[in-house]
Amino acid sequence: MGDQKSRVNVHSVLTQVSSGPSASVETYPLTRLDHAMGHHTIHVIFYYEKSPFGSFDMDPIRVTLSEVLSSYPPVTARLTRDDAGNWAVKCNDAGVRVLRARVGITLDEWLRSADGNEERDLTVWEDMPEVPNTWSPFRIQLNDFEGGGVAIGLSCTHMHGDLTSLILLFKAFSESHHGQAITFPPFFKPPAPPDKKFSVNNSKSTSYLEAKLQKQTPSVKMSTATFKFSDSVVKQCLSEIHDKCPDASPFDLLAALFWIRVVHLKGPKHDDHTHSLSLCVDFRRLLQEPLPYGYFGNALNFSLLSLNEEEMDCSMLGRVAELVHCHVSGLKEEEFWATLHWLDLQKEEGGKYAPPFAMYGPEFTCVSVEHMIIGDQSVMYSMNFDSAKPVHVSCHVGNAEGEGLILVMPSAEAGLARTVMVTLPEEETAKLCEDQSILRLKPTMLLRSI
Amino acid sequence: MPQILPDFSNSVKLKYVKLGYQYLVNHILYLLLVPIMVAILIEVLRLGPYEILNLWKSLHFDLVQILCSSFLIIFIATVYFMSKPRHVYLVDYACYKPPVTCRVPFATFMEHSRLILKNNPKSVEFQMRILERSGLGEETCLPPAIHYIPPTPTMEAARGEAELVIFSAMDSLLQKTGLKPKDIDILIVNCSLFSPTPSLSAMLINQYKLRSNIKSFNLSGMGCSAGLISIDLARDLLQVHPNSNAVVVSTEIITPNYYQGNERAMLLPNCLFRMGGAAILLSNRRRNRSRAKYRLVHVVRTHKGADDKAYRCVFEEEDKEGKVGISLSKDLMAIAGEALKSNITTIGPLVLPASEQLLFLMTLIGRKIFNPKWKPYIPDFKQAFEHFCIHAGGRAVIDELQKNLQLSAEHVEASRMTLHRFGNTSSSSLWYEMSYIEEKGRMKKGDRVWQIAFGSGFKCNSAVWKCNKTIKTTTDNPWSDCIDRYPVHIPEIVKL
Repeated sequence: MGDQKSRVNVHSVLTQVSSGPSASVETYPLTRLDHAMGHHTIHVIFYYEKSPFGSFDMDPIRVTLSEVLSSYPPVTARLTRDDAGNWAVKCNDAGVRVLRARVGITLDEWLRSADGNEERDLTVWEDMPEVPNTWSPFRIQLNDFEGGGVAIGLSCTHMHGDLTSLILLFKAFSESHHGQAITFPPFFKPPAPPDKKFSVNNSKSTSYLEAKLQKQTPSVKMSTATFKFSDSVVKQCLSEIHDKCPDASPFDLLAALFWIRVVHLKGPKHDDHTHSLSLCVDFRRLLQEPLPYGYFGNALNFSLLSLNEEEMDCSMLGRVAELVHCHVSGLKEEEFWATLHWLDLQKEEGGKYAPPFAMYGPEFTCVSVEHMIIGDQSVMYSMNFDSAKPVHVSCHVGNAEGEGLILVMPSAEAGLARTVMVTLPEEETAKLCEDQSILRLKPTMLLRSI
Repeated sequence: MPQILPDFSNSVKLKYVKLGYQYLVNHILYLLLVPIMVAILIEVLRLGPYEILNLWKSLHFDLVQILCSSFLIIFIATVYFMSKPRHVYLVDYACYKPPVTCRVPFATFMEHSRLILKNNPKSVEFQMRILERSGLGEETCLPPAIHYIPPTPTMEAARGEAELVIFSAMDSLLQKTGLKPKDIDILIVNCSLFSPTPSLSAMLINQYKLRSNIKSFNLSGMGCSAGLISIDLARDLLQVHPNSNAVVVSTEIITPNYYQGNERAMLLPNCLFRMGGAAILLSNRRRNRSRAKYRLVHVVRTHKGADDKAYRCVFEEEDKEGKVGISLSKDLMAIAGEALKSNITTIGPLVLPASEQLLFLMTLIGRKIFNPKWKPYIPDFKQAFEHFCIHAGGRAVIDELQKNLQLSAEHVEASRMTLHRFGNTSSSSLWYEMSYIEEKGRMKKGDRVWQIAFGSGFKCNSAVWKCNKTIKTTTDNPWSDCIDRYPVHIPEIVKL
C-alpha cells in the first residue's frame, strides 16, 4: 500500500466521565501479569449498521455509558507509580477519552475496500507518555460512516486488561442501555495463588518465557487480513479430520491449518529445524478456583507447541489439529502459577518489576477466543443496540512483532463459524490470501490488503 | 469589622436580661394596651348597666350626621384598600438538574487544564490551588462544549446549552404548577453573559407558543444579582397589571464565556462557574394565595457603581493575547463588604424588630454625642429571619457574610452545600439554596427567608420572602437523589 491519506478523519476529542464520584480515591496496584503485558496494547472494533449514538452531545446513551463507567473505576482511572516504582491505577474519576471521527464512505464499502492497516485508524494508537498522570489509558473512538453506520473502537494498554475485559465492558454497556442486568459484572480482585509451591525450573512455560526475554526481532512492516469461515464449511472440515482428531474444536482446526500454510509460506528455516507455535489461552475458567469472566485484568497464558521440520513437512491437517487440541486441553493451572512465580523472580531490587518484553511473539502466535463462546452463544456478538447485533468485530494487538499473529474469533454467524485475523509481514499476507488450501474453504475476505 | 458587645455579654444572666428587654420592646404596644383595657373594664363595671344606657340615650344623632360619617368611613376604607400594594406570591419554582454526562470531577478539570494550558504550568498550578480551596464538590457540571479538548464554544453550542437549561427548567415549572403557557402574562429572562438575537425570552416565546400580547423582558449584563433584579421588575409590573402571572427565568450560559487564555485573574471564573438555571412563577392572583409557597415582602437594591473601584472590580475585558475574560480584582471582598453594609442599612429598619432597632439607634446616638469610641452595634439579623440564602459566589463570600452577620454554621449550610453540589450557578444559586432548605424539611409556615446576591457593578440586592405554608419534601427537585448525603463536611483544602 502506498502512503494513501487515511479516509478516517478525527474531528473532536472529549472526555466522558462516570456518573458518580467514587467514595474515595483508591489506588490499586497492577498484577505481575499486567506488568508483563505492558509492551502491548489491545484494540477492539465493533461495527454496527446503525449508530446508537444519535445527537451525541445530549444523547441518553451517553448517560448509560457514564453509569456503566461508574461500575468500572479502573477504566476512568489514571496510571501512577507506587513506592516500589511499579504501575498502579489511581481511581480518581478522570474519565475516558472519546474521539469522534468521520469516514467518507459507507460501512459496506469500508468492509470491502479498506485494508487491515487502515482499519487500525478506527481506534486510537497512542504511546504512553513518560508521565501518564493526565493520559487516559482507555480510549473510545466513534467512527461515523456515511449512511448511518458506526464503528466503535475501544483501545487500552494491555496492562489494564485483556481482550475478554474489553469485550465484557462493552457488553455491560449494551446491556445497561436496554435496562437489562449485567450478565458478567466486573470483578477486580486478582487471582490468589494456592498454597502449593510451584517449581519454576522444569516448567515449560517458564523456559519459554526465558527464551522470549532473550530474543530480539527486527521490526518488519506487517499487514492484516481477515478471513470469515462459515459454519457449514467448518463443520465439513471437522468431519474430514474426524478420524485423526475426534474432539477438534474450530480453533484447533483453523490454528493448525494456518500454521501449516504459514510455515509453508515462510520457507525452510536456517537456524534450527523446529517449528514453534505460541498459543495464547484465557485462564479465567481453567483455574481451580475459577475467576469470574468479569475479572477485569489479564488472565492469559502463553505456551509453546513445537514440531520438528520433518513432522511438519509430511503432517496432515488432522494430525497437527490433534496436537494443538492435546496441547490446549492439557494446559494445567500449574503453568499459569509458575509463570506468575517466574515473573516475580524477575523483580529488580526494591520490588520493581522488570521492564516488559514482547509477550505476543517473536514466534508465530495464535490467540484463542473460544472461551467467549458460552453454550452456543457467542458473547462477542451479543452486544445489541436497538436489537441489532454487530455486523463484524475486529481485534488488533499493538506491538505484536515477530513472525506473525493470528486471532481465531467467533463470527456474526452463530455455531461453528469463525473469523480469523492474520497479521504477517506484507508479502506473506499477500501470498496467504492466494493460498489454495485456505481458499478451498471459501472464506469471505474482509479488510484485506489489495 | 467592628466587634460585637463586650465579652461579659456571654454570661448567662445578661442573656436573660437581653431576652427580657427584647420581649418588652417588641411587644410594647400590647403591654401598654393591657392596663388601658383593664382600666376601661373597671370603669364599665363601676358605672353599671343603667348608667351606660343613659349615656347612650343622651347622645343626639341626626340622619345627616350619621350618613356623612358612614360615607367618610367607607371612603377612607376604599382609598386604603385601593392604594395598598398588591401582594406578590411565589407560587412555585423549578431548578435545572444537569445530566451526569456533564459532570466535572476535579481530576478531569485539572487534566483538561494541563492539556490546554500546557505552555503555562504556573497558570495550571494557580487553577489547582483555587480548585482545592473552592468548596466545590465532584458533582458540579459544565456544558458539553467544555468537555472537548480544546473547548468548542460556538454560538450553536451556546444556544444548545441555553435551550437545554431553560426549556428543562420551564417544563419542570409548568408541570409542577399546572400553569398553561397561554396564561403567562409577563416573562422576564436574565442571563448576564450570553445575549443572542433574537433574545432568550423570544426563544422561550417561540418554544412554548406564548401569547402575542405578552410583556417580555430580557436582562443581560447585570451579573449574578440579576435574579433579584428580575424579581423586583416582576413585582413592579404586577403592581400595574392586576390578576397576572409572571415567569422569571434566571440562568447563566457558560459555553461562550469559558476563558481560554492564561491570565490568572481571569482563570478564576473557570474554576467556579457551573451550569444551572431556575424558573420561578410569581402571581398576584387571589386564587393563588392559598397554594403559593411564599409571599414577597421586600426587595432592596443597592448599587455602588458610583465608586470607581467598585465599578471595575468585576470587569470583562481582553487580555494581552486578545482573549476575552472576566477579571476579578483583589479587593472584591472588601467591596462586597461595603456593599453589604449599605444594603443592610436600608433593609434593617424594614425587617428588624423594634428591640434591635432601638439598640442600634441608642448606640448610634451614644457614639455621636457621648463617646465616639463606643463600638457600633451590629443588629442581630437572626431575630428577623429564620433562613438565609447567601449567593454561592465562592467560599470567601460565604465566609465573609457569615462573619459579618454573625451567622451560625446551620444558617449558611444551604449556601455552602449548594456551592459544593452545584458550584457557582450565578443568579440561579439562590433558588438551589431555597430548594435545599425545603428538602431538608426546615421550611415552616411563617418563616422568613432572606436572599442576598452580589453582582458586577458592584451591586448588592436582597429579597425577603415569607413562607405561606409549610412545605413538604418532594422528589422532583435537583436535590432528590443526594439530599441524604448532605450536609457534608467540606475540608479547607482538598488534596488534588
